[in-house]
Amino acid sequence: MSIALASGVHLSVLPTTQFKTVRIELHFLAPLDVSTFSARTLLTSMLETSTAAYPTQIALSAELERLFGASFGIGVAKEGQWHRVTATLTLVNDQFSGEGTLAAGFALLNEVLNHPLITAGQFDQGVLARERENLALYLESMAEDRQLQASLATQALYFGGESGQGVPSFGTPEGARAVDNAALLSAYQQLLTRDQIELVVLGDVDQAQVEALASTLAFAPRPELSVPFVVDTPLRETVQAQTEEAPVNQAKLNLAYHVAAPTSGPAFYAAMVAEELFGGSPLSFLFTNVREKASLAYYASSSLDPYRHFMMVQTGIDTADRDRVEALIDTQLTAVQRGDFSDDLLANIKAGLLSARLAAYDTPRFLARQALLDRLASGHHSDFAAFKAGIAAVDRAQVQEAAAGMTLQSRYFMGGEELS
Amino acid sequence: MKERFYTAVAERQVTTQLASGLRVVIVPRPTYHETYAMLSVDYGSIDTTYVPLGASEKVQDPEGIAHFLEHKLFEKADHDAFDLFGATGASANAFTGATRTSFLFSATDQIDENLKTLLDFVQDPYFSEATVNKEKGIIGQEIMMYQDDPGWRLYFGILGNLYPTHPVRNDVTGSVESIAAITPDLLYRAYRTFYQPGNMTLTVVGNVDPQHVIELAEADQAARTIAPYQAPIRPVSFDGDLAAILPYRAATLPLVRPKSIVGIKGTTPVDDDLVGTKYAITVRLLLEMLFGDSSPLYQSWYDAGIVDDSFDFDFTAQRTYNYATLGGDATDASALSEALTAVIAKGADQPLLEEARFARIKHAALGKYYQSLNSLEQVANQVSDQSFGPIGLFDLADVMQAITLADLQAAASQFFRLDAVSVFHILPEVDA
Repeated sequence: MSIALASGVHLSVLPTTQFKTVRIELHFLAPLDVSTFSARTLLTSMLETSTAAYPTQIALSAELERLFGASFGIGVAKEGQWHRVTATLTLVNDQFSGEGTLAAGFALLNEVLNHPLITAGQFDQGVLARERENLALYLESMAEDRQLQASLATQALYFGGESGQGVPSFGTPEGARAVDNAALLSAYQQLLTRDQIELVVLGDVDQAQVEALASTLAFAPRPELSVPFVVDTPLRETVQAQTEEAPVNQAKLNLAYHVAAPTSGPAFYAAMVAEELFGGSPLSFLFTNVREKASLAYYASSSLDPYRHFMMVQTGIDTADRDRVEALIDTQLTAVQRGDFSDDLLANIKAGLLSARLAAYDTPRFLARQALLDRLASGHHSDFAAFKAGIAAVDRAQVQEAAAGMTLQSRYFMGGEELS
Repeated sequence: MKERFYTAVAERQVTTQLASGLRVVIVPRPTYHETYAMLSVDYGSIDTTYVPLGASEKVQDPEGIAHFLEHKLFEKADHDAFDLFGATGASANAFTGATRTSFLFSATDQIDENLKTLLDFVQDPYFSEATVNKEKGIIGQEIMMYQDDPGWRLYFGILGNLYPTHPVRNDVTGSVESIAAITPDLLYRAYRTFYQPGNMTLTVVGNVDPQHVIELAEADQAARTIAPYQAPIRPVSFDGDLAAILPYRAATLPLVRPKSIVGIKGTTPVDDDLVGTKYAITVRLLLEMLFGDSSPLYQSWYDAGIVDDSFDFDFTAQRTYNYATLGGDATDASALSEALTAVIAKGADQPLLEEARFARIKHAALGKYYQSLNSLEQVANQVSDQSFGPIGLFDLADVMQAITLADLQAAASQFFRLDAVSVFHILPEVDA
């Protein structure tokens, strides 16, 4: 259940005795603005590294050790049209630690977020220089993960490389190198005073105790975000294509699709089933026909981002098979659109979605995520019963209709040296 | 049937060994929706030399055969086991390591059906010329994918240095050339030797009744013709040979950041009994004390730009070998490996080994251990890994508690030797 601690500051507490840990997530949400990605990302490195009371990494790490090996990290992500900075702290239950780690955990969050190492109105210049360089080098090295590189390039192609949706949530190496002390302070002020805050606490906790601890963070009131959450990109008339040459043993062929389905209601569930059938599961057409039967790929799968009306197919293939694989992928989507699948397969796909969903309720991360989506996405239902009813009601005609609303928009290929 | 409740971790574990030799380990988790089941075989990528069941001479199999076999067990003459799991909504998977092959499913419904499918498909092999040849295409793609992964290349680079004559140096997947030699006959021969119930463990973690699972497994075994267990004969013995180590190699790859890794080869076997388990945890705590996040040494290297957040270390102890690796991305690959080597060269003389911080590090390690018990997958993996030895996953809190700073000093004295060290670098290609 969610309560407002102040205007624009909300707390959701999910008491459960299922786990040996308490998970605290503190989300800071701002409208997606590509010019702020790098500063917000570098800020997470700065906040994770030092605070006024724990001015070195050693001191901060030692405090986490004292907190019975608590896990702590701050990261960035996109949620529809919003940019999210999230601090996550996982504490072992007092039952096992024999200590009051929950209060100490909130004290640490308060220290990290409200008392960073700022002296005379400046972040430490030496720490800034080092963290900035490390971030830039890290972002550059992401190119070494070819699958990730191809996935990011496909999104840039689909959404537009300079746009908030096309640039990754963590920014670019050039952007990181351009962040100075003033930009970092401004990002910190934005986070602390203007971002909408969603606090989620899950575990063997007492609502009243968590409310009291959360209020010690003393976040000031701020306006609620009014930017819509969902992103929809207008349909293009022609398919964009991009080919990149890279010294790889395995080539990557990725396809981006616009998904017409809404983000709630019967057609939302139908799109989930259609995507699962097309490429989302080992029973899917992409897995069984592209990987298993044709033996053309080690991986061939689709993923759906309903809140961005976006679907991506990723494959790892031989450069020489490019045209064959692309034609074969197209045939698979057509098969879903035409209803060329058995009732048994449809039933199994739905059973798989339900089983995976139910299993996810065994993880603190998923449960906390549902609490956040409850706050952000209108029409979202976090309970399993609603999901089960939604999936169960999907019929063949609805799957076909949802698949018909999946339109190829972009084609990205990264291939080896034999390219001309 | 042996049942134990572990008060310190609030966990129950039921263990038994069936007449066929199959071990069964069950960890009931009544508050979970999911059940995670795994059938593991004490057979992995290093087991390419062995005496086949019923034969007297040893044979040499192609590299990658254990992984190939794992892939091929799913496919039968008229169906694929994936589809049987899929019909219940379950998801299935498998993986092969150096010493272990595991088949698993995760399900929320029809657990009996899925357990029967798991036991059945692993114990009922079907290999044909056509399906084996088709699999070479899929695994060939997998090999290509790993070749593009610098982390994978770094890992097998240092293993190649530490173990030039031990099969752990070989990629788990084998190579395109080695798997070309795999035939149905070779698969059947390895299968018969290693996939005996006496060489396997069934692990089930989740919302199940242990007695019921055991009865189901017993019924499965009773319905099969199972010969008395003959332990596989594996001529590969423990490799602690320091003279064999290649001290340094480097590779160039099209990458952005140089990579540097240091390996330390263990010279004495580390078994899965109490002594070995305690030693393995001791070495991990030792590495944490010297190179972990709260180490002044790590901080000074971080501040000097010698290491970054990618820096990591681990200690691995398996049948016939054990080693530590330390490394990560480094602007100057030599600076990192030289800094690490200098610390190791000091042996037991480690000023950072002091009581106050050790107490804190041990406390934190215990907390991390409790955190790991949330995940059914992690619990099943660890329970299964330790199912062949006398120390179980839920004994580890007690083992950890008993470790002292003197144990760390003794481990440093035994493990840290300059002649046990090797270095591997991967450097960016320079454009001509």
